[in-house]
Amino acid sequence: MWVFVAPALLLYAVFLLGPTAASVWVSLHAWDGIGEMRFKGAGNYTLLLRDEVFLKAFGNTLVLLVGGGVVVFTLSFALTMALRDMPGKRTVRSVLFFPNIVAPVVLSVLWGFLFQTDGLVNSGLAGVGVDDPPNWLGDHLFGLIFAGLVWMNTGFYVTILMAGVDRIPRYFYEDCALNGATAFQRLRHLTLPLTWDVVATSAVIWTVSSLKIFEFIYAFGGTANDLPPPDVWNSALFIFGKTFGGRVPQYAFGYASASAVATLLLIVVFVLLLRRVTRRERVQF
Amino acid sequence: MIRRIGLSGVWLAVAFNLFTLAWIVSTSLRPHREIFAIPWGLPFRPMWENFAEAWSSGNFGGAALNTILLVGPSSIVIVALSAPAAYMLSRTKGRAPSALTVLFAMGIGIPTQVVIIPLFVLMQSLSLVNSLAGLFVLYVAVSLPFTVFLLTGFFGSLPDEIEEAAALDGASVLRTFWQIMLPLARSGLITALVLNAIGLWNETFLALVFLQSTDKQTLPLALLGFLSKQQYAGADYGGLFAGVVILVLPMLAVYVWLGRRIIEGLTLGAGK
Repeated sequence: MWVFVAPALLLYAVFLLGPTAASVWVSLHAWDGIGEMRFKGAGNYTLLLRDEVFLKAFGNTLVLLVGGGVVVFTLSFALTMALRDMPGKRTVRSVLFFPNIVAPVVLSVLWGFLFQTDGLVNSGLAGVGVDDPPNWLGDHLFGLIFAGLVWMNTGFYVTILMAGVDRIPRYFYEDCALNGATAFQRLRHLTLPLTWDVVATSAVIWTVSSLKIFEFIYAFGGTANDLPPPDVWNSALFIFGKTFGGRVPQYAFGYASASAVATLLLIVVFVLLLRRVTRRERVQF
Repeated sequence: MIRRIGLSGVWLAVAFNLFTLAWIVSTSLRPHREIFAIPWGLPFRPMWENFAEAWSSGNFGGAALNTILLVGPSSIVIVALSAPAAYMLSRTKGRAPSALTVLFAMGIGIPTQVVIIPLFVLMQSLSLVNSLAGLFVLYVAVSLPFTVFLLTGFFGSLPDEIEEAAALDGASVLRTFWQIMLPLARSGLITALVLNAIGLWNETFLALVFLQSTDKQTLPLALLGFLSKQQYAGADYGGLFAGVVILVLPMLAVYVWLGRRIIEGLTLGAGK
Protein backbone atom coordinates (compact mmCIF):
# COMPACT_ATOMS: atom_id res chain seq x y z
CA MET A 1 0.00 0.00 0.00
CA TRP A 2 2.71 2.49 0.96
CA VAL A 3 4.43 2.36 -2.43
CA PHE A 4 1.27 3.74 -4.00
CA VAL A 5 0.69 6.49 -1.49
CA ALA A 6 4.26 7.49 -0.61
CA PRO A 7 5.17 9.85 -3.50
CA ALA A 8 2.00 11.93 -3.17
CA LEU A 9 2.18 11.90 0.60
CA LEU A 10 5.83 12.94 0.61
CA LEU A 11 5.30 15.95 -1.66
CA TYR A 12 2.19 16.93 0.27
CA ALA A 13 4.08 16.73 3.55
CA VAL A 14 7.14 18.65 2.36
CA PHE A 15 5.38 21.43 0.46
CA LEU A 16 2.12 21.89 2.37
CA LEU A 17 1.96 20.25 5.79
CA GLY A 18 5.52 21.13 6.78
CA PRO A 19 5.19 24.77 5.69
CA THR A 20 1.89 25.06 7.59
CA ALA A 21 3.65 24.02 10.78
CA ALA A 22 6.59 26.26 9.90
CA SER A 23 4.20 29.22 9.53
CA VAL A 24 3.16 28.78 13.14
CA TRP A 25 6.82 28.66 14.20
CA VAL A 26 7.82 31.73 12.14
CA SER A 27 4.83 33.66 13.51
CA LEU A 28 6.44 33.59 16.94
CA HIS A 29 9.54 35.41 15.69
CA ALA A 30 10.72 38.64 14.14
CA TRP A 31 12.34 37.72 10.81
CA ASP A 32 13.10 39.26 7.44
CA GLY A 33 13.94 35.93 5.83
CA ILE A 34 17.69 36.60 5.66
CA GLY A 35 19.03 37.55 9.09
CA GLU A 36 18.71 35.82 12.42
CA MET A 37 15.25 34.90 13.73
CA ARG A 38 14.48 36.65 16.98
CA PHE A 39 11.94 35.06 19.32
CA LYS A 40 8.99 37.33 20.11
CA GLY A 41 6.47 34.93 21.62
CA ALA A 42 2.96 36.23 21.02
CA GLY A 43 4.33 39.68 20.19
CA ASN A 44 3.32 39.57 16.51
CA TYR A 45 -0.22 38.64 17.47
CA THR A 46 -0.68 41.49 19.94
CA LEU A 47 0.67 43.88 17.30
CA LEU A 48 -1.84 42.51 14.77
CA LEU A 49 -4.72 43.27 17.08
CA ARG A 50 -3.69 46.92 17.12
CA ASP A 51 -2.92 47.15 13.39
CA GLU A 52 -5.81 48.93 11.67
CA VAL A 53 -4.78 47.71 8.23
CA PHE A 54 -4.91 44.12 9.46
CA LEU A 55 -8.22 44.57 11.28
CA LYS A 56 -9.73 46.08 8.15
CA ALA A 57 -8.35 43.24 6.01
CA PHE A 58 -9.64 40.63 8.43
CA GLY A 59 -13.01 42.38 8.53
CA ASN A 60 -13.17 42.38 4.73
CA THR A 61 -12.35 38.68 4.73
CA LEU A 62 -15.26 38.06 7.09
CA VAL A 63 -17.59 40.23 5.00
CA LEU A 64 -16.70 38.21 1.91
CA LEU A 65 -17.03 34.94 3.78
CA VAL A 66 -20.34 35.59 5.56
CA GLY A 67 -21.99 38.36 3.52
CA GLY A 68 -20.73 37.02 0.21
CA GLY A 69 -21.80 33.54 1.25
CA VAL A 70 -25.35 34.64 2.05
CA VAL A 71 -25.72 36.51 -1.25
CA VAL A 72 -24.11 33.76 -3.35
CA PHE A 73 -26.27 31.04 -1.79
CA THR A 74 -29.50 33.03 -2.00
CA LEU A 75 -28.89 33.80 -5.66
CA SER A 76 -27.78 30.26 -6.43
CA PHE A 77 -30.87 28.80 -4.84
CA ALA A 78 -33.15 31.26 -6.64
CA LEU A 79 -31.51 30.52 -10.00
CA THR A 80 -31.51 26.76 -9.41
CA MET A 81 -35.21 26.79 -8.53
CA ALA A 82 -36.07 28.93 -11.53
CA LEU A 83 -34.06 26.60 -13.75
CA ARG A 84 -35.47 23.39 -12.28
CA ASP A 85 -37.84 22.47 -15.07
CA MET A 86 -36.77 24.84 -17.75
CA PRO A 87 -35.96 23.48 -21.20
CA GLY A 88 -32.30 23.91 -22.10
CA LYS A 89 -31.20 24.24 -18.49
CA ARG A 90 -27.94 22.46 -19.14
CA THR A 91 -26.94 25.08 -21.67
CA VAL A 92 -27.90 27.83 -19.26
CA ARG A 93 -25.86 26.13 -16.55
CA SER A 94 -22.80 25.98 -18.81
CA VAL A 95 -23.08 29.70 -19.52
CA LEU A 96 -23.47 30.57 -15.83
CA PHE A 97 -20.50 28.36 -14.95
CA PHE A 98 -18.30 29.97 -17.57
CA PRO A 99 -16.53 32.60 -15.36
CA ASN A 100 -15.05 29.71 -13.38
CA ILE A 101 -12.76 28.70 -16.22
CA VAL A 102 -11.48 32.24 -16.81
CA ALA A 103 -8.44 33.55 -14.94
CA PRO A 104 -9.54 35.76 -12.03
CA VAL A 105 -7.03 38.37 -13.25
CA VAL A 106 -8.97 38.64 -16.49
CA LEU A 107 -12.30 38.92 -14.70
CA SER A 108 -10.80 41.63 -12.55
CA VAL A 109 -9.50 43.63 -15.53
CA LEU A 110 -12.87 43.25 -17.20
CA TRP A 111 -14.79 44.29 -14.11
CA GLY A 112 -12.59 47.35 -13.70
CA PHE A 113 -13.17 48.19 -17.34
CA LEU A 114 -16.93 47.98 -17.01
CA PHE A 115 -16.96 50.39 -14.11
CA GLN A 116 -14.17 52.85 -14.89
CA THR A 117 -14.99 56.53 -15.38
CA ASP A 118 -15.61 56.30 -19.12
CA GLY A 119 -16.39 52.61 -19.00
CA LEU A 120 -19.31 50.62 -20.31
CA VAL A 121 -21.56 51.06 -17.30
CA ASN A 122 -21.23 54.81 -17.08
CA SER A 123 -21.60 55.34 -20.80
CA GLY A 124 -24.70 53.14 -20.59
CA LEU A 125 -25.98 55.24 -17.68
CA ALA A 126 -25.31 58.41 -19.66
CA GLY A 127 -27.34 56.91 -22.48
CA VAL A 128 -30.40 56.61 -20.24
CA GLY A 129 -29.96 60.12 -18.93
CA VAL A 130 -27.91 59.80 -15.74
CA ASP A 131 -25.72 62.90 -15.76
CA ASP A 132 -23.76 62.30 -12.63
CA PRO A 133 -22.78 58.63 -12.49
CA PRO A 134 -20.99 57.37 -9.37
CA ASN A 135 -17.21 57.12 -9.25
CA TRP A 136 -17.30 53.34 -8.90
CA LEU A 137 -13.61 52.55 -8.69
CA GLY A 138 -12.83 55.47 -6.41
CA ASP A 139 -15.68 55.52 -3.92
CA HIS A 140 -17.22 52.06 -4.07
CA LEU A 141 -14.28 49.77 -4.80
CA PHE A 142 -14.97 47.17 -2.13
CA GLY A 143 -18.66 47.00 -3.01
CA LEU A 144 -17.63 46.52 -6.61
CA ILE A 145 -15.22 43.74 -5.69
CA PHE A 146 -17.93 42.11 -3.60
CA ALA A 147 -20.37 42.20 -6.51
CA GLY A 148 -17.75 40.87 -8.91
CA LEU A 149 -16.96 37.94 -6.65
CA VAL A 150 -20.67 37.13 -6.34
CA TRP A 151 -20.94 37.16 -10.14
CA MET A 152 -17.92 34.87 -10.58
CA ASN A 153 -18.96 32.34 -7.99
CA THR A 154 -22.72 32.01 -8.34
CA GLY A 155 -22.47 29.79 -11.42
CA PHE A 156 -20.37 27.25 -9.54
CA TYR A 157 -22.91 26.86 -6.75
CA VAL A 158 -25.85 26.78 -9.17
CA THR A 159 -24.08 23.83 -10.79
CA ILE A 160 -23.57 21.99 -7.52
CA LEU A 161 -27.04 22.70 -6.13
CA MET A 162 -28.60 21.67 -9.42
CA ALA A 163 -26.91 18.28 -9.16
CA GLY A 164 -28.61 17.89 -5.76
CA VAL A 165 -32.00 19.16 -6.88
CA ASP A 166 -31.98 16.89 -9.94
CA ARG A 167 -31.99 13.87 -7.64
CA ILE A 168 -35.35 14.85 -6.15
CA PRO A 169 -38.16 12.94 -7.89
CA ARG A 170 -40.50 15.12 -9.95
CA TYR A 171 -43.67 13.84 -8.30
CA PHE A 172 -42.70 15.52 -5.02
CA TYR A 173 -42.94 18.85 -6.77
CA GLU A 174 -46.17 17.86 -8.49
CA ASP A 175 -47.55 16.99 -5.08
CA CYS A 176 -46.56 20.43 -3.80
CA ALA A 177 -48.35 22.07 -6.70
CA LEU A 178 -51.51 20.01 -6.08
CA ASN A 179 -51.54 20.97 -2.42
CA GLY A 180 -51.04 24.63 -3.23
CA ALA A 181 -47.71 25.04 -1.47
CA THR A 182 -46.09 28.45 -1.89
CA ALA A 183 -42.62 28.75 -3.36
CA PHE A 184 -41.21 29.38 0.10
CA GLN A 185 -42.93 26.36 1.66
CA ARG A 186 -41.65 24.22 -1.18
CA LEU A 187 -38.13 25.41 -0.55
CA ARG A 188 -38.32 24.96 3.21
CA HIS A 189 -40.08 21.60 3.40
CA LEU A 190 -38.95 19.87 0.23
CA THR A 191 -35.90 21.23 -1.55
CA LEU A 192 -33.76 22.19 1.43
CA PRO A 193 -34.21 18.99 3.46
CA LEU A 194 -33.59 16.77 0.43
CA THR A 195 -30.47 18.63 -0.70
CA TRP A 196 -29.12 19.24 2.78
CA ASP A 197 -25.90 17.26 2.35
CA VAL A 198 -25.12 19.15 -0.87
CA VAL A 199 -25.82 22.48 0.83
CA ALA A 200 -23.59 21.56 3.76
CA THR A 201 -20.69 20.60 1.46
CA SER A 202 -21.15 23.76 -0.60
CA ALA A 203 -20.95 25.87 2.53
CA VAL A 204 -17.61 24.28 3.43
CA ILE A 205 -16.33 24.78 -0.13
CA TRP A 206 -17.37 28.44 -0.02
CA THR A 207 -15.58 28.96 3.31
CA VAL A 208 -12.35 27.57 1.95
CA SER A 209 -12.54 29.25 -1.44
CA SER A 210 -13.57 32.65 -0.08
CA LEU A 211 -10.42 32.69 2.05
CA LYS A 212 -8.34 31.84 -1.01
CA ILE A 213 -9.55 34.90 -2.93
CA PHE A 214 -6.52 36.89 -4.01
CA GLU A 215 -6.12 37.63 -7.72
CA PHE A 216 -9.46 39.30 -8.27
CA ILE A 217 -8.71 41.93 -5.62
CA TYR A 218 -5.00 42.16 -6.41
CA ALA A 219 -5.48 43.08 -10.07
CA PHE A 220 -7.39 46.21 -9.02
CA GLY A 221 -3.97 47.59 -8.13
CA GLY A 222 -3.70 48.15 -11.85
CA THR A 223 -0.12 46.98 -12.45
CA ALA A 224 2.16 44.08 -11.67
CA ASN A 225 3.84 45.92 -8.80
CA ASP A 226 1.18 48.08 -7.22
CA LEU A 227 -1.20 46.82 -4.61
CA PRO A 228 -4.79 48.03 -4.47
CA PRO A 229 -5.61 50.50 -1.65
CA PRO A 230 -5.36 48.82 1.79
CA ASP A 231 -9.01 49.36 2.65
CA VAL A 232 -10.04 46.72 0.10
CA TRP A 233 -7.43 44.14 1.17
CA ASN A 234 -8.46 40.79 2.53
CA SER A 235 -6.16 38.66 4.64
CA ALA A 236 -4.49 37.10 1.57
CA LEU A 237 -3.61 40.59 0.27
CA PHE A 238 -2.36 41.52 3.72
CA ILE A 239 0.07 38.60 3.80
CA PHE A 240 1.30 39.42 0.31
CA GLY A 241 1.49 43.14 1.07
CA LYS A 242 3.62 42.58 4.16
CA THR A 243 6.06 40.24 2.40
CA PHE A 244 6.62 40.13 -1.37
CA GLY A 245 4.13 42.68 -2.72
CA GLY A 246 4.40 46.33 -3.62
CA ARG A 247 7.22 48.38 -5.10
CA VAL A 248 9.24 48.16 -1.89
CA PRO A 249 8.59 44.68 -0.48
CA GLN A 250 8.57 44.62 3.32
CA TYR A 251 9.64 41.02 3.98
CA ALA A 252 8.01 41.12 7.42
CA PHE A 253 7.98 37.33 7.52
CA GLY A 254 7.19 36.87 11.22
CA TYR A 255 4.42 39.43 11.27
CA ALA A 256 2.80 38.21 8.05
CA SER A 257 3.02 34.62 9.32
CA ALA A 258 0.97 35.61 12.35
CA SER A 259 -1.76 36.86 10.03
CA ALA A 260 -1.44 33.64 8.02
CA VAL A 261 -2.02 31.62 11.17
CA ALA A 262 -5.03 33.81 11.98
CA THR A 263 -6.44 33.01 8.51
CA LEU A 264 -5.92 29.32 9.07
CA LEU A 265 -7.64 29.48 12.46
CA LEU A 266 -10.57 31.26 10.85
CA ILE A 267 -10.94 28.41 8.35
CA VAL A 268 -10.70 25.72 11.03
CA VAL A 269 -13.24 27.44 13.30
CA PHE A 270 -15.68 28.06 10.46
CA VAL A 271 -15.47 24.58 9.01
CA LEU A 272 -15.94 22.95 12.43
CA LEU A 273 -18.83 25.31 13.19
CA LEU A 274 -20.48 24.66 9.84
CA ARG A 275 -20.18 20.91 10.23
CA ARG A 276 -21.78 21.17 13.64
CA VAL A 277 -24.61 23.42 12.56
CA THR A 278 -25.39 21.48 9.39
CA ARG A 279 -25.15 18.04 10.92
CA ARG A 280 -28.47 16.28 10.73
CA GLU A 281 -29.92 12.95 9.76
CA ARG A 282 -29.81 12.46 6.02
CA VAL A 283 -33.28 12.09 4.55
CA GLN A 284 -33.61 8.90 2.53
CA PHE A 285 -35.76 9.05 -0.57
CA MET B 1 -44.90 35.91 -10.13
CA ILE B 2 -41.84 34.72 -8.21
CA ARG B 3 -41.19 32.36 -11.05
CA ARG B 4 -41.26 35.22 -13.55
CA ILE B 5 -38.71 37.16 -11.50
CA GLY B 6 -36.55 34.05 -11.19
CA LEU B 7 -36.64 33.37 -14.91
CA SER B 8 -35.83 36.96 -15.81
CA GLY B 9 -32.92 36.73 -13.36
CA VAL B 10 -31.67 33.64 -15.16
CA TRP B 11 -31.87 35.30 -18.56
CA LEU B 12 -30.25 38.44 -17.28
CA ALA B 13 -27.28 36.48 -15.93
CA VAL B 14 -26.98 34.44 -19.14
CA ALA B 15 -27.18 37.56 -21.28
CA PHE B 16 -24.55 39.29 -19.17
CA ASN B 17 -22.07 36.42 -19.45
CA LEU B 18 -22.55 36.02 -23.19
CA PHE B 19 -22.35 39.75 -23.74
CA THR B 20 -19.12 39.98 -21.74
CA LEU B 21 -17.52 37.25 -23.80
CA ALA B 22 -18.62 38.81 -27.08
CA TRP B 23 -17.45 42.20 -25.92
CA ILE B 24 -13.96 40.93 -25.04
CA VAL B 25 -13.54 39.37 -28.48
CA SER B 26 -14.96 42.38 -30.29
CA THR B 27 -12.84 44.86 -28.33
CA SER B 28 -9.67 42.88 -29.00
CA LEU B 29 -10.17 43.66 -32.69
CA ARG B 30 -10.72 47.42 -32.37
CA PRO B 31 -8.20 50.28 -32.35
CA HIS B 32 -7.49 51.91 -29.03
CA ARG B 33 -8.85 55.34 -29.86
CA GLU B 34 -12.23 53.99 -30.92
CA ILE B 35 -12.58 51.82 -27.80
CA PHE B 36 -11.82 54.82 -25.71
CA ALA B 37 -14.37 56.99 -27.50
CA ILE B 38 -17.19 54.45 -27.93
CA PRO B 39 -16.77 51.46 -25.61
CA TRP B 40 -19.92 49.81 -27.01
CA GLY B 41 -18.79 49.87 -30.63
CA LEU B 42 -18.17 46.96 -32.98
CA PRO B 43 -15.03 46.15 -35.00
CA PHE B 44 -15.96 47.20 -38.52
CA ARG B 45 -12.44 46.64 -39.80
CA PRO B 46 -10.86 43.94 -37.59
CA MET B 47 -7.47 45.04 -36.24
CA TRP B 48 -5.46 41.82 -36.25
CA GLU B 49 -2.41 43.98 -35.43
CA ASN B 50 -3.63 44.05 -31.82
CA PHE B 51 -2.77 40.38 -31.55
CA ALA B 52 0.64 40.83 -33.13
CA GLU B 53 1.26 43.66 -30.68
CA ALA B 54 0.25 41.60 -27.63
CA TRP B 55 2.07 38.52 -28.89
CA SER B 56 5.46 40.15 -29.41
CA SER B 57 5.85 43.41 -27.53
CA GLY B 58 3.34 42.41 -24.83
CA ASN B 59 5.34 39.20 -24.25
CA PHE B 60 2.26 37.03 -24.57
CA GLY B 61 4.05 34.79 -27.06
CA GLY B 62 6.84 33.77 -24.72
CA ALA B 63 4.40 33.62 -21.83
CA ALA B 64 2.11 31.28 -23.76
CA LEU B 65 5.02 28.93 -24.37
CA ASN B 66 6.06 29.02 -20.69
CA THR B 67 2.49 28.38 -19.59
CA ILE B 68 2.09 25.39 -21.91
CA LEU B 69 5.45 23.93 -20.84
CA LEU B 70 4.46 24.34 -17.21
CA VAL B 71 0.80 23.35 -17.25
CA GLY B 72 1.03 20.29 -19.52
CA PRO B 73 3.67 18.32 -17.60
CA SER B 74 2.43 19.36 -14.16
CA SER B 75 -1.15 18.26 -14.85
CA ILE B 76 0.11 14.90 -16.08
CA VAL B 77 2.44 14.39 -13.12
CA ILE B 78 -0.30 15.41 -10.66
CA VAL B 79 -2.64 12.75 -12.01
CA ALA B 80 0.16 10.17 -12.24
CA LEU B 81 0.99 10.65 -8.55
CA SER B 82 -2.59 11.01 -7.33
CA ALA B 83 -4.14 8.04 -9.11
CA PRO B 84 -2.17 5.29 -7.30
CA ALA B 85 -2.60 7.03 -3.95
CA ALA B 86 -6.33 7.49 -4.49
CA TYR B 87 -6.68 3.90 -5.64
CA MET B 88 -5.06 2.57 -2.48
CA LEU B 89 -6.96 4.89 -0.18
CA SER B 90 -10.30 3.95 -1.68
CA ARG B 91 -9.62 0.22 -1.81
CA THR B 92 -7.91 -0.59 1.49
CA LYS B 93 -9.99 -0.85 4.61
CA GLY B 94 -8.60 0.07 7.98
CA ARG B 95 -7.64 2.95 10.18
CA ALA B 96 -4.50 4.15 8.40
CA PRO B 97 -6.10 4.59 4.95
CA SER B 98 -9.10 6.47 6.30
CA ALA B 99 -6.87 8.71 8.42
CA LEU B 100 -4.78 9.44 5.33
CA THR B 101 -7.88 10.23 3.29
CA VAL B 102 -8.88 12.79 5.88
CA LEU B 103 -5.33 14.15 5.96
CA PHE B 104 -5.37 14.71 2.18
CA ALA B 105 -8.83 16.31 2.36
CA MET B 106 -7.53 18.73 4.99
CA GLY B 107 -4.94 19.90 2.50
CA ILE B 108 -7.71 21.34 0.30
CA GLY B 109 -8.42 23.78 3.12
CA ILE B 110 -4.88 25.18 3.32
CA PRO B 111 -4.78 28.39 1.26
CA THR B 112 -1.48 28.93 -0.57
CA GLN B 113 -0.95 32.34 1.02
CA VAL B 114 -0.83 30.68 4.43
CA VAL B 115 2.25 28.62 3.49
CA ILE B 116 3.86 31.07 1.09
CA ILE B 117 6.54 32.34 3.48
CA PRO B 118 8.00 28.95 4.48
CA LEU B 119 7.65 27.83 0.86
CA PHE B 120 9.68 30.80 -0.30
CA VAL B 121 12.43 30.12 2.23
CA LEU B 122 12.42 26.44 1.29
CA MET B 123 12.59 27.11 -2.44
CA GLN B 124 15.32 29.67 -1.92
CA SER B 125 17.46 27.14 -0.09
CA LEU B 126 16.93 24.74 -3.02
CA SER B 127 17.81 27.56 -5.49
CA LEU B 128 14.43 27.07 -7.14
CA VAL B 129 13.18 30.65 -6.95
CA ASN B 130 12.66 32.34 -10.33
CA SER B 131 12.72 28.98 -12.08
CA LEU B 132 10.00 27.27 -14.07
CA ALA B 133 11.18 23.92 -12.71
CA GLY B 134 10.65 25.20 -9.17
CA LEU B 135 7.16 26.41 -9.99
CA PHE B 136 6.44 23.04 -11.59
CA VAL B 137 7.26 21.26 -8.31
CA LEU B 138 5.02 23.64 -6.37
CA TYR B 139 2.15 23.30 -8.83
CA VAL B 140 2.29 19.53 -8.49
CA ALA B 141 2.51 19.59 -4.69
CA VAL B 142 -0.31 22.06 -4.03
CA SER B 143 -2.66 20.32 -6.46
CA LEU B 144 -2.27 16.87 -4.94
CA PRO B 145 -4.81 17.12 -2.07
CA PHE B 146 -7.75 18.06 -4.29
CA THR B 147 -6.83 15.55 -6.99
CA VAL B 148 -6.36 12.70 -4.53
CA PHE B 149 -9.71 13.60 -2.95
CA LEU B 150 -11.48 13.71 -6.31
CA LEU B 151 -10.00 10.44 -7.53
CA THR B 152 -10.58 8.65 -4.22
CA GLY B 153 -14.27 9.37 -4.69
CA PHE B 154 -14.04 8.19 -8.26
CA PHE B 155 -12.26 4.89 -7.54
CA GLY B 156 -14.69 4.33 -4.66
CA SER B 157 -17.59 4.47 -7.10
CA LEU B 158 -16.22 1.61 -9.22
CA PRO B 159 -17.64 -1.87 -8.48
CA ASP B 160 -15.64 -4.17 -6.16
CA GLU B 161 -16.40 -7.36 -8.09
CA ILE B 162 -13.97 -6.78 -10.95
CA GLU B 163 -11.12 -6.36 -8.55
CA GLU B 164 -12.07 -9.46 -6.59
CA ALA B 165 -12.18 -11.46 -9.82
CA ALA B 166 -8.70 -10.22 -10.69
CA ALA B 167 -7.44 -11.23 -7.24
CA LEU B 168 -8.98 -14.69 -7.62
CA ASP B 169 -7.21 -15.07 -10.95
CA GLY B 170 -3.95 -14.37 -9.16
CA ALA B 171 -3.21 -10.90 -10.52
CA SER B 172 -0.83 -8.87 -8.38
CA VAL B 173 -1.95 -5.56 -6.85
CA LEU B 174 0.22 -3.63 -9.26
CA ARG B 175 -1.14 -5.50 -12.24
CA THR B 176 -4.75 -5.12 -11.10
CA PHE B 177 -4.20 -1.40 -10.76
CA TRP B 178 -2.35 -0.92 -14.02
CA GLN B 179 -4.27 -3.22 -16.35
CA ILE B 180 -7.75 -3.27 -14.87
CA MET B 181 -8.54 -0.34 -12.60
CA LEU B 182 -6.74 2.44 -14.48
CA PRO B 183 -8.52 1.81 -17.79
CA LEU B 184 -11.83 1.65 -15.92
CA ALA B 185 -11.11 4.97 -14.23
CA ARG B 186 -10.14 6.64 -17.49
CA SER B 187 -12.94 9.20 -17.54
CA GLY B 188 -12.17 10.20 -13.94
CA LEU B 189 -8.50 10.62 -14.77
CA ILE B 190 -9.27 12.80 -17.77
CA THR B 191 -11.58 14.95 -15.65
CA ALA B 192 -8.83 15.39 -13.05
CA LEU B 193 -6.34 16.23 -15.77
CA VAL B 194 -8.57 18.88 -17.33
CA LEU B 195 -9.57 20.45 -14.01
CA ASN B 196 -5.92 20.78 -13.00
CA ALA B 197 -4.91 22.14 -16.39
CA ILE B 198 -7.57 24.87 -16.23
CA GLY B 199 -6.73 25.77 -12.65
CA LEU B 200 -2.99 25.99 -13.31
CA TRP B 201 -3.38 27.84 -16.61
CA ASN B 202 -5.09 30.61 -14.65
CA GLU B 203 -2.89 30.42 -11.53
CA THR B 204 -1.41 33.77 -10.57
CA PHE B 205 -0.42 33.89 -6.90
CA LEU B 206 2.46 31.39 -6.87
CA ALA B 207 3.70 32.62 -10.24
CA LEU B 208 3.70 36.19 -8.93
CA VAL B 209 5.80 35.29 -5.92
CA PHE B 210 8.18 32.80 -7.55
CA LEU B 211 8.81 34.16 -11.05
CA GLN B 212 10.69 37.42 -11.27
CA SER B 213 12.17 37.77 -14.72
CA THR B 214 10.07 38.67 -17.74
CA ASP B 215 11.30 35.78 -19.89
CA LYS B 216 9.90 33.27 -17.38
CA GLN B 217 6.45 34.88 -17.11
CA THR B 218 3.26 32.89 -17.46
CA LEU B 219 0.18 34.29 -19.20
CA PRO B 220 -1.55 35.86 -16.17
CA LEU B 221 1.73 37.62 -15.32
CA ALA B 222 2.06 38.83 -18.90
CA LEU B 223 -1.39 40.38 -18.59
CA LEU B 224 -0.44 42.14 -15.35
CA GLY B 225 2.84 43.25 -16.94
CA PHE B 226 1.00 44.63 -19.94
CA LEU B 227 -1.21 46.61 -17.56
CA SER B 228 1.81 48.17 -15.87
CA LYS B 229 3.45 48.98 -19.19
CA GLN B 230 0.42 50.97 -20.18
CA GLN B 231 1.02 53.30 -17.27
CA TYR B 232 4.14 54.75 -18.87
CA ALA B 233 3.95 53.71 -22.53
CA GLY B 234 0.38 54.91 -23.02
CA ALA B 235 -2.79 52.87 -22.91
CA ASP B 236 -3.55 50.36 -25.64
CA TYR B 237 -6.91 48.77 -24.86
CA GLY B 238 -7.00 46.87 -28.15
CA GLY B 239 -3.69 45.15 -27.37
CA LEU B 240 -4.77 44.56 -23.78
CA PHE B 241 -7.92 42.76 -24.84
CA ALA B 242 -6.03 40.82 -27.49
CA GLY B 243 -3.90 39.56 -24.58
CA VAL B 244 -7.05 38.71 -22.64
CA VAL B 245 -8.30 36.70 -25.61
CA ILE B 246 -4.96 34.83 -25.85
CA LEU B 247 -5.36 33.94 -22.18
CA VAL B 248 -9.05 33.01 -22.29
CA LEU B 249 -9.58 31.40 -25.69
CA PRO B 250 -7.68 28.11 -25.12
CA MET B 251 -9.61 27.48 -21.91
CA LEU B 252 -12.86 28.38 -23.63
CA ALA B 253 -12.07 25.82 -26.34
CA VAL B 254 -11.38 23.16 -23.71
CA TYR B 255 -14.61 24.12 -21.95
CA VAL B 256 -16.72 23.89 -25.09
CA TRP B 257 -15.13 20.54 -25.89
CA LEU B 258 -15.18 18.93 -22.43
CA GLY B 259 -17.59 21.15 -20.49
CA ARG B 260 -20.02 18.49 -19.40
CA ARG B 261 -17.22 16.29 -18.11
CA ILE B 262 -15.71 19.19 -16.16
CA ILE B 263 -19.04 20.01 -14.54
CA GLU B 264 -19.86 16.40 -13.74
CA GLY B 265 -16.40 15.86 -12.27
CA LEU B 266 -16.75 18.86 -10.01
CA THR B 267 -20.19 17.93 -8.78
CA LEU B 268 -19.02 14.39 -8.15
CA GLY B 269 -16.22 15.76 -5.99
CA ALA B 270 -18.53 18.17 -4.21
CA GLY B 271 -21.45 15.83 -3.73
CA LYS B 272 -19.51 13.63 -1.31
